[in-house]
Amino acid sequence: MSGRVDNVMVVGVGGQGVIVAAAVIADTALLHGGLDVKLSETRGMSQRGGSVCSHIRIGQQVIAPSISPGEVDYLLAFEAAEGLRFAVSVRRGGVAIVNTQQIVPPLASQGDFAYPFDAIERMDDGSRSVVAIDGNAVAEAVGDLKVAGVVLVGALSAYLDFATATWERALRRNVPAKWLDMNLAAFAAGRQATAARSAATTTGEASA
Amino acid sequence: MAAVLMLGNEALARGAWESGVRVAAAYPGTPSTEIVANLASYDGVYAEWSTNEKVAYEVAFGAAMGGARALTAMKSAGASVAADPLITSVYTGVNAGLVVCLAGDPGMASGMTEQDDRYFGRISSMPMLEPADSQECYEFVQLAYEISESYDVPVMVRMSIQTAHQKSVVKLNDDDDARAAAPERRPPDRKTEKYCMLPRFSRPMHRSLLERFERLRAYAEASPLARVEATGGDGRMPLRDGGSARIGVVAAGAAYMSAREAAPGAAFLKLGIVHPLPVETVRRFAASVDRLFVVEELEPYLEEQILAAGVACEGKRWFPAWGELTPVRVGQGFHAAGLDLPRWAEEKPAEDTGVIPRPPVLCTGCPHRGMATAMKRLDLDVHGDIGCYDLTSLPPVSHMHSAFEMGASIPMDQGFWRAGGSAKGSVAVIGDSTFLHSGLTGLLNAVHQRANVTVLIQNNSITAMTGGQTNPGNERTLAGAETRPVDLVAICRALGVEQIETVDPYDYEACLTALKAGLAFDGPAVIVTNRPCMLFPRKVPGDGHFEVDEDLCNACQQCMRLGCPSLSHAEATFKRRHKVEIAPDTCTGCSLCAQLCKAGAITKAGVA
Repeated sequence: MSGRVDNVMVVGVGGQGVIVAAAVIADTALLHGGLDVKLSETRGMSQRGGSVCSHIRIGQQVIAPSISPGEVDYLLAFEAAEGLRFAVSVRRGGVAIVNTQQIVPPLASQGDFAYPFDAIERMDDGSRSVVAIDGNAVAEAVGDLKVAGVVLVGALSAYLDFATATWERALRRNVPAKWLDMNLAAFAAGRQATAARSAATTTGEASA
Repeated sequence: MAAVLMLGNEALARGAWESGVRVAAAYPGTPSTEIVANLASYDGVYAEWSTNEKVAYEVAFGAAMGGARALTAMKSAGASVAADPLITSVYTGVNAGLVVCLAGDPGMASGMTEQDDRYFGRISSMPMLEPADSQECYEFVQLAYEISESYDVPVMVRMSIQTAHQKSVVKLNDDDDARAAAPERRPPDRKTEKYCMLPRFSRPMHRSLLERFERLRAYAEASPLARVEATGGDGRMPLRDGGSARIGVVAAGAAYMSAREAAPGAAFLKLGIVHPLPVETVRRFAASVDRLFVVEELEPYLEEQILAAGVACEGKRWFPAWGELTPVRVGQGFHAAGLDLPRWAEEKPAEDTGVIPRPPVLCTGCPHRGMATAMKRLDLDVHGDIGCYDLTSLPPVSHMHSAFEMGASIPMDQGFWRAGGSAKGSVAVIGDSTFLHSGLTGLLNAVHQRANVTVLIQNNSITAMTGGQTNPGNERTLAGAETRPVDLVAICRALGVEQIETVDPYDYEACLTALKAGLAFDGPAVIVTNRPCMLFPRKVPGDGHFEVDEDLCNACQQCMRLGCPSLSHAEATFKRRHKVEIAPDTCTGCSLCAQLCKAGAITKAGVA
């Protein structure tokens, strides 16, 4: 048997940096050593403002590259409505980290669909642990909106059992050198934002 | 052994490089594009974006005939385009090895159809390997070159999108000279009787093809590519009715991974070669289990052959013949078949379909938008082709009436016109790369037949939809060499088109005028737009953003018809309709919204 597998799903809107974030997470698991890792690339035209979703599976042995419905352990949502869209796939007791940013798609202007401005409240219905952070504000404080995705990776890092130094090595391998310092700062700020909450959650899980 | 994460396509490229591939040719097509894109970065490999898949196949085949190991790659639709040389090349065989990579798209993430590519193996008698993860992509392509040269036949490496586009761990041969063991170039072939497909030569070729296929069948039976895996002992699994049975599963590629995830306790016959099918190996495996399941995406390709060999099995009765076979879909099939698998007993949603959809849209500043809006305004029948402009068939633009396959727009519009056309007229819409792929012959036909068609070449000077690959309209090739960009207007003139107009697609009135002139012209007319893609080859910097004067905006919604992602509804309303605002950080200043605004409410920021 393949043993335990951690399922991480990263979702957002094309152009937000979901693909880079997923690569950093998968690479960290690989660099940690002794683990099998599979990542299923986003489908569709990710650079044209569409909904984007990446699956990362980490464990002693990973078979299928995609996460099955209802089995997401950690959802990392770069945008609130995308968080709501994929929240149903988080297992009972799983964690959803969601950026408070709201990107209203052009369709909402046609009047056929309403944007869910209450997305985060709707996610937080007791089925899962919801952590909302204003990743864009943190990124701007660090220096640039561009690094908001890495702030969110930092927020996730507090929940996964990898050393900070391993995350930093993965960042080094996946972001351009001239942006590295800002990315490292963004990562640290994001990790800081959830460190306290993750300690409470993981302690709870350990006793379960 | 360095362990790295690689896309299936990247691993395939790496394995091909280590095998000594010297020539690689393809036309970009999701999910196969990364294979040749990656090969271009390796030393000692000539890689090109050819004008289409048939051309690419012929370039690769010619290289193999010339003694260099060669590779071509394509998506499902591309295999249909290349089918003619593909089938012929199995008759002739090769000189140096030729590997044909074919990435299918069950689930149609980006494909037009989800055809089952394995039938190309059947129709051509080309041997077909099927890797299931990136490690196998890396290894199988190397094996494919050995088979190709040992049996004098092109070999197909077939994947589904799940294999091509997954990143998984590859243990690389990190020998510095991993490629050094690869064979030298062979002397070029000069053999009339081998490469001239006249009946006198090709009739005996078909007989030797059939004889070779029997030898390949023997190879498949003896090969470790078909291996039994009994991760759960003898495969005994509980059934929902209380008993138990030894469950055996035959599967390959992505379907194998899904089946193992779904029923890890079963015994598996994992097929790394799907054509020829090692059916005697299947028969022996079947004898060791109580129930034999065949788990395969799309058609009952393996199942029918196994049944024809007189081996009882269960397949499409439980597993759908459409879409990707994800673990949950396989698991539910096993559940329906009576296996006791609690993980799959309950159906769970993958996403909340009640949340506002977010399909991809044309980018802010996209040069396709002006003409798309003008064609909608004139209420024309729009016969599209394959490219980003197909997004105008979806909301918010929703104005395109066919989008079929590469090059279809012009001939289909010609037929539509010949049938009597429509009241307000019709236009064939095709991009630059698609026009150069297979639009030229359609336009030439329209000229020759004196067809009264209007052709719009939405020229953004790049192959955009697949991620910005070069085409003959560009000044550089994939290999980075300078080349002479073709002149679309000159080509159309040379084909015999008399009415040709170049239009700035940011000029809305000019778009309307050009369309009307093209429709009015008696004979084939061509309109060529002249603005570049906003994303490729590099992101186009904005030219100052526009803004809305909220006092002047009367919420008429004219600008919203553009479907521009930088326009959205403001809080403020007029007559219960929302006024509009423009996102200053994403607006690129194309000015189309300002041109549509009759109230004069939209102006360039910072301009009095």
